[in-house]
Amino acid sequence: MTTWLGLRLAETLETCRSVPPENPNILKTLLAIQSTLGHVPANVIPQIAQVLGVTDAQVAGVLSYYSDLRTQSPGRHLIRVCTGESCTANHGGLVLRAIQDYVRDVVGDRAQAERFTVERMSCAGNCAVSPTVMIDGDFCGRVIPSDVPSLLERYR
Amino acid sequence: MKTVRCYLANDTSSRAAGAERLADAWSGRPEIQLIRTSSRGAFFLEPMVERDTPSGRKAWFNVAPDDLPRIVAGVGGTPVAEIPFLQQQTRFTFANFGITEPLALDEYQTRGGLKGLAAARSLPPEAIVEELRISRLRGRGGAAFPVWKKWQVAQQTESEQKYVVANADEGDAGTYCDRMIMEGDPFRLIEGMLICARAIGATRGYIYCRYEYPAAARAMRFAIQKAREADLLDCDDYPFDLEVAVGAGSYVCGEETALLESLEGRRGVVLAKPPYPAESGLYGNPTIVSNVLTFATIPNILVRGGAWHASLGTEGSRGTMALQLGGRVKQPGLVEIPFGLTLRDVLDRFGGGMAPGSRFKAVQVGGPLGSLFPDSQLDIPICYDTFAEAGAILGHGGIVVYDDQTNMVELARHFMAFTADESCGKCTPCRIGSVRGREILDRIQAGEGTAESLNLLRDLGETMKATSLCALGGRAPYPVLTAIEHFPDEFRVRAQG
Repeated sequence: MTTWLGLRLAETLETCRSVPPENPNILKTLLAIQSTLGHVPANVIPQIAQVLGVTDAQVAGVLSYYSDLRTQSPGRHLIRVCTGESCTANHGGLVLRAIQDYVRDVVGDRAQAERFTVERMSCAGNCAVSPTVMIDGDFCGRVIPSDVPSLLERYR
Repeated sequence: MKTVRCYLANDTSSRAAGAERLADAWSGRPEIQLIRTSSRGAFFLEPMVERDTPSGRKAWFNVAPDDLPRIVAGVGGTPVAEIPFLQQQTRFTFANFGITEPLALDEYQTRGGLKGLAAARSLPPEAIVEELRISRLRGRGGAAFPVWKKWQVAQQTESEQKYVVANADEGDAGTYCDRMIMEGDPFRLIEGMLICARAIGATRGYIYCRYEYPAAARAMRFAIQKAREADLLDCDDYPFDLEVAVGAGSYVCGEETALLESLEGRRGVVLAKPPYPAESGLYGNPTIVSNVLTFATIPNILVRGGAWHASLGTEGSRGTMALQLGGRVKQPGLVEIPFGLTLRDVLDRFGGGMAPGSRFKAVQVGGPLGSLFPDSQLDIPICYDTFAEAGAILGHGGIVVYDDQTNMVELARHFMAFTADESCGKCTPCRIGSVRGREILDRIQAGEGTAESLNLLRDLGETMKATSLCALGGRAPYPVLTAIEHFPDEFRVRAQG
């Protein structure tokens, strides 16, 4: 980890220190770190455990339990395709495939890892305008496969 | 030039449907002033733009940026009061939707907000619980437990510290009414929680909001800040401390004991009950965990009285229910109506039939653990008891329609895989059963199943139903088994051997 990231981590951890009688909150701490660094690198588990006064295993247990906590840095753009039932019924699977194809064919394999992370997400609560694609926190609704190139063009 | 005041929803789904594109395109245009409101929930009409007329609001549907001149000139448009989808609803909890600015506390008050809290503050705590008993309100999150019973237990349990927790981990696929409430009428949730705090003597509250709802968490934080500045977060002489906690993508955290574990920062694993959270919940203290919709229903009960609430709906299901239509239906959106209408009526009257070019195959009610209904079973009235008798659940009111292109084997596999992914791992039937179930469905899907595979799946399903610790494992077999029951040919064809 770079010095800069190390500093950001240390700063964030300071804000998560609990003052008795407050209990240390592992999940809240990990979410704070993720919001600062973009992910929670597994090698900082001991440092987190030490600040919170819990065991490494407790931190690792929480980190591995929640699917929205990531230990790898995502690409510059995070594309999440909803796989909830309404999106599935409205052919969200075809949209996911179109996005994967676009990223592979148009953006290219090497650039893909840096630029785009494509993943499935559980129901986004956007069911009334499904299928849903979430790009960097913005929701797009009623997406059809042929929309994909114009949708992603501005993120290239 | 005269500036025309127009209204455009700022709800996540409205924005996803194009409201943001309109706002961007029209920003800086002197001829209009855009007021960003909550959404009426008629999402099939979004983006929808409204403006005032002497006879009430008028709306333009599915608006594109170059429709602006028409709207400014007042050409076309439909009076909002004449939109059938909205006209046929009975809106109490969602009465403000589409009308007010979500974070305008003064507008909330002008439209009757905070009157329920005032009523609660004029009553002794026992009388608040009594009003809820009369109302016969049942929890809207899925379990449908009588709300007053929970509150009474928490009220009568002696403790220095008690908590009120809003379950905003709306994980059921096909549901979005909690999101709408948090984004669109956040003070209603706060008011409901304050009434609960007063009734049980709680001094701290949390809104446990799922990670997928960033706009809802933002709106709630902002609304809490405003409520604090307006000195609303005070109960009698003690402050009521309210904050938003965010989850991290675990479906099972919608179960109350798992939610509390997660709120304490641990793995969101389900605990055996008893003790129930109302006696021993967050940090071992009495805690009321209720769904967002439940809390949002409560202010009206205090204003209009428990008897008013009990006068709506059916024998075992009083009041109104927020149904959320999605999937291959023509008119997806939010429908608030008293309990009792049949599923077919809801799909016809509000859903408007099927999306163009598709034919009905099945409808799933109650999220990913809900049963599937074929056309022959649509005449079931929507209430907790009829659904329980049919072995189904109403859950949180999600209704997802599937069309004839849906492959039932694939869908059944999707459901089992969902449970396998989301199982917290605490109990064996769910942890292992869901994985075995998914494997069996994988084999059937690959054409490698035998007649024995289906028997095994049924047997496994019955075991999971009977022995799982919580509803995730206990309900997971229902969508799979109802798919086999109603569409046996699709499974048999692939399980020949």
